[in-house]
Amino acid sequence: MARTVESTIRFPYKRSLGPVLGAFMTALTEKRLIGIRSGDRVIVPPIEWDPDTAASLALDFVDVGPAGTVQSWTWVAKPSSQHPLSEPFAFALVKLDGADTAFFHAVDAGSIDAMSTGMRVAPRWKAARRGHITDIDAFVPGEEPTVVAGDESSPGEPVTMMEYDAAITYNTPVTANVERSEQATEEGRFLGLKCPVCGRTYTGGKGYCPVDAVELTPEHEVDLPQRGTVTNYTIITPVQYPGQTETEPFSRVHVWLDDSDVVLGYQALLDTPNADVRIGMRVAAIWASDAEKADVDPRAEGNLVGWMPTGEPDSTDPDLLNRIC
Amino acid sequence: MVANERSADDIAIVGWSVSPMVRNTDKTEVQMLLEVITGAVNDAGITRADVDFTCAGSCDYVAGQAFSFVQNIDALGAWPPKRDSHVEMDGAWALYEAWVRLLLGDIDVALAMGSGRSSTADPGLIYPMEMDPYYLAPLGADATSFAAIQARAVIDAGKVSEDAMAEIAARCRRDAKDNPHAQVTGDFDTKALLAEPYVRAPLRKHDLPPITDGACAVVIARRDRAIEMCEHPVWITGFAHATESHNPGMRDLTGSPSTVLAAKAAGAGDAPIEVAEIQAAYTHEEPILVEALGVGDAVVNPSGGPLAANPIMATGLVRVAEAARQVRDLGKHRTLAHSTSGPCLQQNLVCVLEGGSR
Repeated sequence: MARTVESTIRFPYKRSLGPVLGAFMTALTEKRLIGIRSGDRVIVPPIEWDPDTAASLALDFVDVGPAGTVQSWTWVAKPSSQHPLSEPFAFALVKLDGADTAFFHAVDAGSIDAMSTGMRVAPRWKAARRGHITDIDAFVPGEEPTVVAGDESSPGEPVTMMEYDAAITYNTPVTANVERSEQATEEGRFLGLKCPVCGRTYTGGKGYCPVDAVELTPEHEVDLPQRGTVTNYTIITPVQYPGQTETEPFSRVHVWLDDSDVVLGYQALLDTPNADVRIGMRVAAIWASDAEKADVDPRAEGNLVGWMPTGEPDSTDPDLLNRIC
Repeated sequence: MVANERSADDIAIVGWSVSPMVRNTDKTEVQMLLEVITGAVNDAGITRADVDFTCAGSCDYVAGQAFSFVQNIDALGAWPPKRDSHVEMDGAWALYEAWVRLLLGDIDVALAMGSGRSSTADPGLIYPMEMDPYYLAPLGADATSFAAIQARAVIDAGKVSEDAMAEIAARCRRDAKDNPHAQVTGDFDTKALLAEPYVRAPLRKHDLPPITDGACAVVIARRDRAIEMCEHPVWITGFAHATESHNPGMRDLTGSPSTVLAAKAAGAGDAPIEVAEIQAAYTHEEPILVEALGVGDAVVNPSGGPLAANPIMATGLVRVAEAARQVRDLGKHRTLAHSTSGPCLQQNLVCVLEGGSR
């Protein structure tokens, strides 16, 4: 198996609720369940449009439940990190009294043997409610709603926003070409892969030529020069975000490696005041010594510290214009 | 049928390729696509440069990367520039868009693809994020829990039983023995399957699709180019899709009205269907779909179907490739492919294929 890189991505969303979903979430803070009229039907949870005709629905809300009847269900023996309960529970479609559609939520029945189609359930409210679908802790067998411990919420402002936060851990394979490219930068080399069809050279261990769609393998590897010319630059005024260590404006340059068509983007330029950064500057790669390795920015390529001006006269090659990225 | 029955606007499948279907591939999504695109254009006897329009089906949540479809374009060969599109749906819907694009008449050849590397993360955590963001996603409402709720509704309605579901799983895995791309194959005793514990009651492991990495690409062409390219074009004679409410609680889960609509719009019932390749990823979905599609007399999923390999985002397009294979390579006259999207068969697509005349 290939080595994989693990990364966990969080998805923290804030959503506006509007007049229909907002009304439902506000009702939850008051331990009420509401539906919306659509012709002869009452739809729960309320939605903005008729599910069959897509007609916009008037804000005609109806109290439903709080008890209801289980129409169908499943048993979750091993809850996930996203599930509302950490102990085994049921997910069920519950037809709340007075509703014509089914409401999806958890049922905390203790055991699969306590579950059956047609059973009666009622909500167990959270003590502190914020206007969120999880204000219902779960449904429980029986007719009477309950509240977890002491009831702390008092009806307040209408709820207009809700939060959602999920995290997913991904394991992405590291291809053999990427492994070899990373190894090269550890050793102070830039490894290129030259397309056998068009002759373009790629860095970063790309596995294929995106122009010709041919696979690139070790036989296409070339060692690239360590000198180049600045073809483009930007001065970045740092804003503070997690991981940002810069506090003063700093430059990032694009470097066109000599005798190749490779442009390395967003490289650090060393020992150069921002006012002196210019297109055409000649630069050379500086690699960290073994002793310096610990200080290298972990986001950098291997042990590349950055690029140092060589002092050579600036390039005036007009083709620099075509090498800005 | 005779040749003049085909109009210039008729569109045919002229090539395809299906990747190996595995639990965990060393390849990136781009590499999987690179292979199936090469395979499909080779199968059609053309090169990437002959393709006028491309459309991909893939999912950023599955890939774990924003705009992951942009780097997938690398697999197409970016030069000469192509008209390109993407759907955050199964590749079967990418094929639908490509078909609609060719109907405009100004270009002749299109390629649709679908790809997914489901092993990258836990599907049980990914799919809740694609549910209703207000009422369902915050509960971690996963696709398998919804499937189980639908299974119980269908069982309670007397349309299927746990025994019959085990029979469906065993049949699919047995049929998949002849499918070189399949992931889960072999002979299984239904009694042993039924002795296994529930994953989500009433669903056991055999009722669920495997987690699969895979990709598929299909090339289509307008009549004149299709006839130039190949001996046996597989004509798309009907293509439609329809959808229902995204919230399963608003629906009758014992049937699939949107499948009925799509099948009617695609003309599925106009003549007998010999083989139906359907995206029944859970065993109980098969009887629902067979009834809704009206294909009770057809051979269903001779490839083994999604219960043998389920490359999310390509599973439906693989159904199209398998249904086309039945026509071009196995001599069938009229077959059907089905794809689905969303919880409890929310949205359904039907593609009717015919061989015979050029």
